[in-house]
Amino acid sequence: MSRNGYDAIVIGAGANGLVTAHYLARAGKRVLVVEQHESPDPSLDIGWVPAVIVRDLGLAGAGLRIQEPDPWITGPLEAGGTLELSRDIERSAEAIRRISPADAAKWPEFCQRLRRLAGVLERLYLAPPPDIESNDARELARIVGLGLYVRRLGKQAVIDLARILPMSIAELLDDWFENDALKGALGALGIWHLKQGPRSGGTAFNFLHHHAGSRGGVFRPARSNITQALSSIPGVELRRGERAAVLAKNGRASGVVLEKSGEAILVPLVVSSADPRATLQPIAFELDPEFARAVDNIKARGVVARGTLALESVPGYATLCIAPSLDYLERAYDDAKYGRDSAAPYVEVQRTDGRVELHVQYVAPGTHEDLTHKIARALNAQPNQVQVQAAEESLYHGELTLDQILFMRPVPGWSRYRTPIEGLYLCGSGTHPGGGIPGAAGRNAAREIL
Amino acid sequence: MKRYDAIVIGGGHNGLVTAAYLARAKQSVLVLERRPRVGGAAVTEEIFPGFKFSMFSYVVSLLRPEIIRDLDLPRHGLHILPLESTVTPMENGDYLAAWGDHDETRRELYRHSPRDAEAYDEYGRLMHFMAQAVKPILGMVPPDPTSFAPGDLAGLLKLGKHFRDLGGERLHALVKLMTMSSADFLDEWFETDVLKATKSASGIIGTFLGPRSPGTAYVLLHHYMGELDGVFRAWGFAKGGTGAVSESIASAARGFGAEIRCDAGVSKVIVGNGRATGVVLENGDEIPARTVVSSLDPRRTFLQLLEPDHLPSDFVSDIRRFKFRGSSGKVNLALDSLPSFTCMPGVGRQHRGAFSISPSLDYVERAYDDAKYGEFSRRPYMDIVFPSMIDPGMAPPGKHVMSIFVQYAPYALNGGWTDAKREAFGDAVVNTVESFAPGFKSLILHRQVITPLDIERITGLSEGNIFAGELALHQLFFLRPAAGWAKFATPVRGFYQCGSGTHPGGGIMGASGRLAAMRILKDGT
Repeated sequence: MSRNGYDAIVIGAGANGLVTAHYLARAGKRVLVVEQHESPDPSLDIGWVPAVIVRDLGLAGAGLRIQEPDPWITGPLEAGGTLELSRDIERSAEAIRRISPADAAKWPEFCQRLRRLAGVLERLYLAPPPDIESNDARELARIVGLGLYVRRLGKQAVIDLARILPMSIAELLDDWFENDALKGALGALGIWHLKQGPRSGGTAFNFLHHHAGSRGGVFRPARSNITQALSSIPGVELRRGERAAVLAKNGRASGVVLEKSGEAILVPLVVSSADPRATLQPIAFELDPEFARAVDNIKARGVVARGTLALESVPGYATLCIAPSLDYLERAYDDAKYGRDSAAPYVEVQRTDGRVELHVQYVAPGTHEDLTHKIARALNAQPNQVQVQAAEESLYHGELTLDQILFMRPVPGWSRYRTPIEGLYLCGSGTHPGGGIPGAAGRNAAREIL
Repeated sequence: MKRYDAIVIGGGHNGLVTAAYLARAKQSVLVLERRPRVGGAAVTEEIFPGFKFSMFSYVVSLLRPEIIRDLDLPRHGLHILPLESTVTPMENGDYLAAWGDHDETRRELYRHSPRDAEAYDEYGRLMHFMAQAVKPILGMVPPDPTSFAPGDLAGLLKLGKHFRDLGGERLHALVKLMTMSSADFLDEWFETDVLKATKSASGIIGTFLGPRSPGTAYVLLHHYMGELDGVFRAWGFAKGGTGAVSESIASAARGFGAEIRCDAGVSKVIVGNGRATGVVLENGDEIPARTVVSSLDPRRTFLQLLEPDHLPSDFVSDIRRFKFRGSSGKVNLALDSLPSFTCMPGVGRQHRGAFSISPSLDYVERAYDDAKYGEFSRRPYMDIVFPSMIDPGMAPPGKHVMSIFVQYAPYALNGGWTDAKREAFGDAVVNTVESFAPGFKSLILHRQVITPLDIERITGLSEGNIFAGELALHQLFFLRPAAGWAKFATPVRGFYQCGSGTHPGGGIMGASGRLAAMRILKDGT
């Protein structure tokens, strides 16, 4: 313990930062969490909340609510009416039958096959990534165990895993379905937070990543109030409205300095849930040039705008998806490729506690002329109803592409939450398993630290 | 009627390699080729009097050295001439050149970006090493991860060890190469757009992907597989055109005693009691054999030569969804004289190498966008060579032949390919070249335009895919052409596959043909 009484400082009070802090606190450490924003942003609590975290930290008793809307998606159909997909596979099949009997017939098997693969990811995600370079017998045993686990799922699962992960979501969906509206609504999940179009390789993985934690047949991550629940449980000290930078010298972290007050807090352990680049670039002088280059090379291009939609009355849907076809998504991506906002963007409207939120893709860096007009046009709404903010960088602190996952995340060879700076760890969504799974990286990091 | 030990269906380079290896092992072998000449997509034809063309495939770099050695191909007439340089004309009238001489290339790069010139050597070293690391995999029979057979488990362990032995940094580079887009991969190294465009253009050849699509970085390695000293392009050109490569393998096969029959298309494989026993020719003749090997692509091998009830239904659906999506065309021109490019006026050593029409990443990406929505590229990516400059025998004295590889031309063109569309495509190609070499059009004596549909019609390659099936990550290694059947055997006993649609596939490499022959000999059927 240092003089100020803390053993560890966690930078960032998002779900991952708080989860790390609480696990450390439960292990007897005195933890201070420093957060730059005054209040938590509830719109970020999207994704699978692993049950083990709920159990370990007693979140059920802290008011954790997980919303699982039913139907989970509503998509307008070109010919009028809507396509509604429900949590019940049979009911969804019934809805799909009205637009394509062939697709309806394949729906149950599609759901079951992808559910099985998502199960593999879930297993991978609740532990540090396999270290394939390791010579440690336990680690090798774990890798072999993982291999055996996959094989026990059956021959088809092995083939599916190898085939599907590198595929584009368009190829995967074209393998199964014919209806544009269905493929558009599903395909949109494959491009979530990615600067890729549905025809780009690796988007099938992104689809599966966001399916992890959901039941079969539900292809949108759950929403929750996990950050709020984590903020309300005792055990860690939380200081808001302060931006902290890491102090490092001679290859060791010595604490943080608070930017507003200039106050330095010295502790032997600093854990950052912030973007790895934001955490490490200011102390690049302490880093090996190769490592610094790898950090600079992290791809984290912002393509999403988030915001709210003002409506006079509560909408009749839980989630409205404007992605009428894969071509629509692909053309939206084409604009982004050349540095423009999509002329006809993919828009998703999510009704949540008293708010109607928007997820818009793709936006390009820089100015956003007419963005609200473009969104309003896609939604058949008025521009003054739309209020959005475009993120300059990936909200996941690193795109979930195949070259930036598992032992390649956040940078190759440094996937175990450590950094070359002794006493400095990472625990945010820039680390394995990445964004869209609030708390998973935080828990893995805490376990590695301990 | 004579019963052969083995019949090889299709006299493309892989079929010929299989035949040569089998004959070398003292088997009686018959190769059946539908066309009047062997070679498949590696043929030289005198399309216009006096003008000879490597009609489809036009460069050689990956032909396996062990094949050249085992079959003693130089003795059978194989002579590879280096194609040393690449010049990329830029839209602003400047150019980027890579010469055979390493230092000269560095100086040229320095002109564009000192930083890139610095990074270039390190990049070359890494890629060279990676190519060495990947080579053994190309020569290995893919183990089946779904099988519990000791051989497969041992193969997987061996593969795992191979990767681990690479060491961290190189293993990570390999993962990046296998999964990234060539544009993203090159972004980590270089800043000069035209350099990245030219390099990534090689990553899109034969694929239905743009340079910003993940999965294209891997092909960057191919350029380093055939070369030794770090030059950035080491393609070769066979004296007499690529047909000469096929002819030399055919000659070697004949030398070992194989029989090769042209104008002999096969319509069916005869199957009795779950075993292949021979073939039926298009003229109705039946020829019995102990083993039948198909070098055709997987779709024709399994869905055309066999009846569906000879195969498990899961396997049939795997083959049905194996993707072809041909995306390349070819324009072969007879020229009165060589064109002069604005960026490097006159005629000179630049014409002894390639011209790459890839002035920027956005240019190549836009070419892809057209194809993505079912149109041929209005301004396509092109790889241009003048074979008559390297091998004067290809054209009458003073005249020249020009080979233009073009991408993208989608097989599934909106509205389908017609004669008018073919000519419109040819016009787009010629007009684009004209924009970089004014006056070029007036030099054209004859023009042949080849669309993916033409490639399919003439060579039989399904959807005109030049690799007999897309070289996408999910169609490689133990998934090529289908899981469980990537080791050259098929669900029909005595029936084998040896074409580019099997591991490792792609280019005039011959590796598939050689591995298949070794498998057949091992099985001893």
